Amino acid sequence: MRAVWLGLTSLVALLPPAAAQLSARLDVSLGSRYVWHGLSRAAGTIVQPSLAAGLRLGRLSLEGGAARHYELDAVASGELSESGAGNGHLGEDDVWGRAALDLGAARLHAGVVRYLFHGDSTRGGLGRGWNTTELYGAVSTTGSYLNSSLEVWSDVDRLHGTFLRYSASAPILAWPFPPFVFAFVDGDVGLNLGQGPDPSQPGRVANFAGRGITHAGVGAALELRAGRTPGVGWTTIAVGLRSQVNLDDATRVNGVGRKKDLNCWLWMGVTVLLGGEARGLR
Amino acid sequence: MSRCRGVLCGVAAALASCGPMRLDMPAVLSPLPRPAAGAVLQAGFARVDITPPAGVGLAGEGPEGGAARGYRLRLYARVLVLADGGGNRLAIVVADLPLGSAVLHRRVAALTARTDGIGVDRLVIAVTHTHAGPGHYFDAGAYNDLASSVFGYDPLMLDSLTARIARAVHAAVADLRAARVAWGSRAVWGYTRIRSLPAMLHDIPTPAAPPHAPNLLLPEYRVVDPELAMLRVDLLDSATRKYRPAGAFSIFAMHATGNAPANDLLDSDIPGIVERRLERHIDRDLNHRVDTAFVPRALYLFANGTEGDVSPAWPPQSRCAVPVLAVLPALDGPFTRSLWQWRPPTPTHVAACQHAAREAVVRIGEALGDSAGALFDALGSSLTDRMELARAFVTLSLRDSAGVLGVCPTPAVGMAALAGAADSHSRMQGWRLFGAFPIGLDEGSPNPDAPGCHAQKRELLDGVFGEWLNKVAVAGTLPSFAQVSVLQLGDRLVGTLPGEVTTTAGRRMRDEMLAAARARGARVSAALIMGLTNGYLEYITTPEEYTAQYYEGGSTLYGPGEAAMFGRVLAGLAAGVSSGDTLPSSRAPRIVGELGHKRDIVPRSPAIRAPDGAIQAWCSGDTLYARFDLGAVRDWPVSSGDVAARARVEVADDATGAMVSWDDDPQLELRVRARHRGVASWELRWSGATRARYRIRIPGRPASSAVGCSPAQP
Repeated sequence: MRAVWLGLTSLVALLPPAAAQLSARLDVSLGSRYVWHGLSRAAGTIVQPSLAAGLRLGRLSLEGGAARHYELDAVASGELSESGAGNGHLGEDDVWGRAALDLGAARLHAGVVRYLFHGDSTRGGLGRGWNTTELYGAVSTTGSYLNSSLEVWSDVDRLHGTFLRYSASAPILAWPFPPFVFAFVDGDVGLNLGQGPDPSQPGRVANFAGRGITHAGVGAALELRAGRTPGVGWTTIAVGLRSQVNLDDATRVNGVGRKKDLNCWLWMGVTVLLGGEARGLR
Repeated sequence: MSRCRGVLCGVAAALASCGPMRLDMPAVLSPLPRPAAGAVLQAGFARVDITPPAGVGLAGEGPEGGAARGYRLRLYARVLVLADGGGNRLAIVVADLPLGSAVLHRRVAALTARTDGIGVDRLVIAVTHTHAGPGHYFDAGAYNDLASSVFGYDPLMLDSLTARIARAVHAAVADLRAARVAWGSRAVWGYTRIRSLPAMLHDIPTPAAPPHAPNLLLPEYRVVDPELAMLRVDLLDSATRKYRPAGAFSIFAMHATGNAPANDLLDSDIPGIVERRLERHIDRDLNHRVDTAFVPRALYLFANGTEGDVSPAWPPQSRCAVPVLAVLPALDGPFTRSLWQWRPPTPTHVAACQHAAREAVVRIGEALGDSAGALFDALGSSLTDRMELARAFVTLSLRDSAGVLGVCPTPAVGMAALAGAADSHSRMQGWRLFGAFPIGLDEGSPNPDAPGCHAQKRELLDGVFGEWLNKVAVAGTLPSFAQVSVLQLGDRLVGTLPGEVTTTAGRRMRDEMLAAARARGARVSAALIMGLTNGYLEYITTPEEYTAQYYEGGSTLYGPGEAAMFGRVLAGLAAGVSSGDTLPSSRAPRIVGELGHKRDIVPRSPAIRAPDGAIQAWCSGDTLYARFDLGAVRDWPVSSGDVAARARVEVADDATGAMVSWDDDPQLELRVRARHRGVASWELRWSGATRARYRIRIPGRPASSAVGCSPAQP
């Protein structure tokens, strides 16, 4: 790990900023009970390390990365979890790649994600039977007051169905002196258009119980630009609170019979961004 | 238990060391003057280099002020000491610094009182208000921590400035010689303008341009105070026994904000050009000295007047765009969130506006310098060797005596101040919650419903927190005292204030001083205001301007009564100036300042390798480039401040060997490129090349190879 870290840092530091920009990003986030997209979920504390790298050529960026999901808490029977009842452990690996095109205030993305689950399906977790691949496309707009994104996710492996998600975040205020602090609110809403059960394939696992709006969530967060190394990159620490109303029966939380639709959780994360635009930012 | 206590003590000590630093600031008043035999009037000049090393914050632009990467025109403190036959001495220092500092003033006076009989009451330290000067030496935490994006108070900066300025005062005393002086003034139009005209138009009666104001000028140019006041000083030359022009002291109202806010170099801005222009005029044209090159012997102290609402006439294209809040779409993959950032303007834009600003600095500086030269020449026929010297001094405790003084007991910063002034609006300007709801981050957005002493002022996020946030988080970091003095220099009264006085407020103060002095029978012909002296209290506006809550009103800390209070204090001092005495200690009580967070900002590390002696040089168009090592970052440009003995980087014409530029030239920039094992690698850019060959010379090492330049024909 240390060698990887040193290698990445050296590579980023040596690259000329004006040329094609190579960048890397390391995230470690810590959260509590949540469910996302009908796929990823945790019954208790979860830690999610992820690594990404990208190459920017003018307006075009080619990016890829991987993420892991570790459930840290013991899971009770019937809880919405990846690892299943018992002690928590590695629940999921994700590998992704995408291309992004910068169009000024708008940005287009197209990519693919491979989900690999490591839970015990006999204990209510997500096992290999949940593994799948999704293609996704997104258009996002950026501005000083609103950053929004419309995403289309299409399962091309297990479900052959589509999921839509719209998300937006808006800053409330930002501290202009280093270390910069950004306070913002965000929200999202999901719509399942075909990732539910298929009556013609009764044994197939589905992400959702039915069509329609799957959830609506809002949150607030603080982001602190904690450290900066000129010419290399910077580190950000973020902490946030999020609440989500899960409208789909398959994503309700809290144990046997899972009837609770409102879910609130805290999260915090550390992001290290190296190279690319982060090199020159104050 | 003891281990637990030890841990707790350690934690407490660590927390205390992270907290703001408080400093006790005693004052030393001047001793009783000892009458001197000899000349009726004496004067002495001195200059000291106060350019700090790269890495310090460029104070004055708030969040837009970055860390200095090098320097252009060096920063100096210039000193004029005047002495009469009665032993009365007055020392005036004009330093190329952004803001005044009471702790700097008191520390210098503690040294000069002992050696030269010049205590706090006979010492005025004024600053030119260059926004390309260093911070970290102020007497209030708000300015050490927030005057630039490099936060903190650095005792090394304070100690360095104290030692250098005190040494310069001492040198000026040592230079005291028989002198002849003359006061005069002239109007200079077209190079300054009122930057907050809507606020000024609230004044009653409405300010009107004087009859002699040029009709062609726009209104904001016609209602400025155009007076360039000058005290010309000629000194007796010991060799020829003749009086020769030696220098001058001026007061002129203008913000030293010619540089673009995105500037990354230490620089003395427009005042630096003005000062050098007159100094070279005196040396070359009047004294016919041709050996001084870029090191003038004459000295010109160009102090600021009522510049609170006065900008230099910079063109709009010289103001760079500020960073904007935006999402940074960097590797925000499907499982990680987007990050927020302050997105900076493009390098191309910044380069263009900095270039426009540099051109404006030189153009305005040279024009003002020429006006100063003409005035200096005109005063040659009215020189006299008689000038009455007197002074009055007081330290006001603004919070403790708020009721008596007529100001608010708790200082407050208005939201308009966070938006920044027209010279450099900050990135906060115009921000609205969710893009729709204004929260007061605009100039000219008073709150007519605000109750209390600070009525009309929108305090920090008062829509959410009321007065609470200001009281808890802000007020304690602001200054709580003001050092005010009045000098009588011949038939002129000079009121000195630790703040930025607006044009109308200054005009009222001058009238009050003059009336008070005449009422006691003094023979005075005019009164002047010298701002930004002996401390810093932000802005001083009239009550009417305060009501408008432009940047200046938002930055008037102690409420709408401040200008009237200072007017009364100045009038009282003007009526009580004295000489040949010592003032009671009650005039300069001990004060305590909260200096903010102590940090090592000035580079301290020594070099742990020998600098490379090679100088690489090349030319591109009209710009000559060179790269070289100059020892440790902490040791350059000067470690001692000794102007005469210091090392320098020169550009020399290869054919004649003549020096054509050096590192104190508006066309020459020096930046630290990199630091390796304590040694700084510098890059020189000189944009004055013509079709010729040049060498870079650094005393003590071989010159660079000759480099040919062939700029395109215009």
